[in-house]
Amino acid sequence: MVALICGMTFLTPFTLKASQQQDVYEIQDPYEGFNRVMFKFNEKLDKYILIPAAEGYRAITTPYARERVRNFFSNMKEPVSAVNQILQGEFKNSGISLSRFVINSTLGLAGTHDVAGAWGLKKNQDGFDETLAKWGVPSGSYLVLPFVGPTTPRAFAGTIADGFISPVYWVTEDHEDGAYAYVAYVGAKAVVDREALLDYTRDLEKNSVDYYATMKAAYIQNKQKNYHNSSDNNTVSYDFDFEEVEYEEVIYTE
Amino acid sequence: MKNILATFIMGVSLFFTSSAKAEINATKAENFVKEVTNSGIEDIINANVSQKVKDERFEKLFNSALDLDFIGQFVLGRYWRTATQTQKKDFIAVYRKLNIKTWSARFDEFKGKNFDFVGTTPSNSKNQIFVNSTVNMGEGEPAKVVWRVKQSGDKFKIVDIIIENVSLAITARNEYTAFVKNHNGDIDALIANLQEKTK
Repeated sequence: MVALICGMTFLTPFTLKASQQQDVYEIQDPYEGFNRVMFKFNEKLDKYILIPAAEGYRAITTPYARERVRNFFSNMKEPVSAVNQILQGEFKNSGISLSRFVINSTLGLAGTHDVAGAWGLKKNQDGFDETLAKWGVPSGSYLVLPFVGPTTPRAFAGTIADGFISPVYWVTEDHEDGAYAYVAYVGAKAVVDREALLDYTRDLEKNSVDYYATMKAAYIQNKQKNYHNSSDNNTVSYDFDFEEVEYEEVIYTE
Repeated sequence: MKNILATFIMGVSLFFTSSAKAEINATKAENFVKEVTNSGIEDIINANVSQKVKDERFEKLFNSALDLDFIGQFVLGRYWRTATQTQKKDFIAVYRKLNIKTWSARFDEFKGKNFDFVGTTPSNSKNQIFVNSTVNMGEGEPAKVVWRVKQSGDKFKIVDIIIENVSLAITARNEYTAFVKNHNGDIDALIANLQEKTK
């Protein structure tokens, strides 16, 4: 909660739009200097710790096994979704998330198989960031935090709050070595998530002229998907005005 | 009287809004994207020809399906207006080359995959529409791929591809304008950097 309140002090409305002097499609980044330093720090962590761990994990597992592991971690997020969906007034979705957790934790062998999905109870996960968005709390400016990576004050506050809602926290909290178990869980999840992105980030980095700017644009746009899911607005977040392009015929020959 | 006037204005504005959005034929736009993806899968990925022939076919398909002149101008952002004719020409050429190289290398990932088309979404830009699809990449949830299609006369072109809500055009615009900004507005530095990546 302290982190949440601290986070709020950073809040300024995040937007793709900007003043007339600025590019309306450029994502605003008032803390760019700080963010770029943190980005470099995280890149080192990624290069020397997370990527080797993710590659090792990939080397010793099959795609089938990895999917089971991803399903397990995804299932642990269902109760978090259920709570957030109640906070958002999405009671039907909350019921679905809870049902998915119960079915997949039992019949789905600890969540490793998505039995509920096969029965038509489709995954629709939400976090506290989306809840805050629904309550009208602005996201705040783009931030890169050490060990956390790309985020916004609202998304970071959401991550902290979701951590406290998570069943993993409640299970490990009262145990003597609970803190270690929780850290191990978070670490394992980071490796599993990183493995899933290995090929994409390699490509992105190789082809990018400014990897920081690419990651920022991709993170912010991907995040907007979640907020649009919970609104009734029919417009899509990527529908920028292409008309503003002053189209000009370019003589191209090769 | 006021009510009648308000209704009239509302009706007229609704007419113009809906007619502006309706200028593109949604079915034809979706069929166009289906043809492009089918052609890519059948004539390139599944074809029993050499890699050289596949690369040539890919380049031809890429150039005919995507309006890279249009996208290239968008992604250079405000620097398009300050660029010289030579810089514009060089940028579009290298942007095209890099895209062909990047996508051509990744195209085989779609081997054995099929795009499921799940309708269209209107765009606020005239003559444009979003064609929605999903593709199961084997692991995890199916990826959501949206194709932004522009109609000019009876011709269709793809002007953006949106993967999991990430527009390639917006992302490239942020990337390229950030690079030029951090190089004191030097567009040639961007072109040189991109040329290095195409080697």
